[in-house]
Amino acid sequence: MTLIQAILIGCVAALSQFEGGWLGECKLREPIVTGFLVGLILGDMKTGLIIGAELQLIWMGATGIGPTAQLDIGTGGTIGAAIAIATGTGVETAIAFGLPIAIIMQFIHTMMLTAYSGLMIVVDKKIDEGKFGYIFGIHALCGGMDFLMYSLLTFMALFFGNDLIESMVNGLPDWANSGLTAVAAILPAMGFALLLNIILEKDLIPFFIIGFILAAYSGIGYTMVGIAALAGAIAWIIFILKSSNASSPVLKSAQNDEWEDD
Amino acid sequence: MADGKIMSVENNLTKRDFIGVFWRSFTLLGSFNYERMEGLGFLYALSPILKKIYKNEPEKLKEAMHRHLKAFNMTVAPAPFVMGISIAMEEMSKKGEDFDTNSINSVKSALMGPLSGIGDTFFWGIFRIIACAIAVGFAQDGNPLAPLILLLLFNIPNFLTRWFGLFIGYKNGSKILEDLESSGKMKLFTFCAGIVGVASIGCMIAFWVNITSPLQFNIAGSDIIIQDYLNQIMPRLLPLTATLIVYGCVKKKISVIKIILGIVVVGFLLGVFGILG
Repeated sequence: MTLIQAILIGCVAALSQFEGGWLGECKLREPIVTGFLVGLILGDMKTGLIIGAELQLIWMGATGIGPTAQLDIGTGGTIGAAIAIATGTGVETAIAFGLPIAIIMQFIHTMMLTAYSGLMIVVDKKIDEGKFGYIFGIHALCGGMDFLMYSLLTFMALFFGNDLIESMVNGLPDWANSGLTAVAAILPAMGFALLLNIILEKDLIPFFIIGFILAAYSGIGYTMVGIAALAGAIAWIIFILKSSNASSPVLKSAQNDEWEDD
Repeated sequence: MADGKIMSVENNLTKRDFIGVFWRSFTLLGSFNYERMEGLGFLYALSPILKKIYKNEPEKLKEAMHRHLKAFNMTVAPAPFVMGISIAMEEMSKKGEDFDTNSINSVKSALMGPLSGIGDTFFWGIFRIIACAIAVGFAQDGNPLAPLILLLLFNIPNFLTRWFGLFIGYKNGSKILEDLESSGKMKLFTFCAGIVGVASIGCMIAFWVNITSPLQFNIAGSDIIIQDYLNQIMPRLLPLTATLIVYGCVKKKISVIKIILGIVVVGFLLGVFGILG
């Protein structure tokens, strides 16, 4: 990996963090996007996309809601894809490196967020003094710190850790590889379990079953949109039925009670 | 010019001012921290409008700024809706002597939960997974359109929600919320969105979790392939089982880090001994 490539990949990692803070969570952090960019930088866009797709499935549920973010998929995906492409290996390598990095970076970020808390008192003070410029100043300082931290750490890991990483990857015995393959196969289940945790409630279980069974027995990989549209139609029907009930005054109180239960 | 259109005569707020809030709202998480969370981002988005509203009242301006620096946290896409309501309330506060300014922050706090609930269901449960799911299909073939598809499918709803949320929130936000809450439609709406979400997740578990068993035995000259038996019970049985086990762990409030470690250890061993692949 050349110096320029390592710097550019550092910027991709920083960008994946920056989109959350400054670009309205526009999803540049998703592994398909970072994989694509890293692939472009390393001159193998196609592999970048394929590895990105695999990582995407694993991290489908890692959304990091609110302050309880769990995994830094931006940096983990970027570095994982970079190492997998640079060493000419597959998604197993991307996971073996990307996963620990996603955990460590989340930990580092937690410490930074704690540090930023201290700056808020400064803003309070500056408002009292009438120095409103500090509102943007400190807001931007936090963003700048994020960018610097992410790009520097990623750059250093890739540029200085290059040889070490390569010898680690090449030293992996076969049995370890089959172990990693199994881990890679199971991890996507975690992503979907986390997603279910956000939206599944008791009354939604039938629709989960319908979605799964239709897909499992049809076995065609591209019917996803069709099934989602079907579910959308069912949702629409239920909304019409239930909301016309809700407008009748007698049923209204019973309706409210029913929804209160969950 | 459309940009110069007056939105509020008394405080001389123009459409341009609101467009400013719209763009600034994208930086809401920029200085996220554990004390005020999105507070500083919220204040940054509103500060130019606050300066306009309290142009001749420096003390009230400072008060208003402190007010919006207070802790605030919600899914980012619906947040401009709250900004719209806040602007409307700040204008009311300027106009009326007996307006209780505490009500501004009570309304903001009251909105965090329900709007985050809807925002999470739509943006994380539907828009993100459908955008990612469709893009994965393209990315697996190495098609460079994949990231573009992902970004467009997610960001079109993202932009529209922010844009219309801000203006609707400003014009009649409080009224809409009252109607939705009292008729119970808010919950119904979230529930119906959940239908699409869980059906898609069920679908993706079947399509994209590829856990199979390479186990086979040779008993009395005939090959017994475990995966064939599993398929006869139900196709994709192992992916479903694995997902439900992890879901059970999440429900039991086991931390995600521990679950990952568990998957790495158990999965690694199962892989090494050739039970799963």
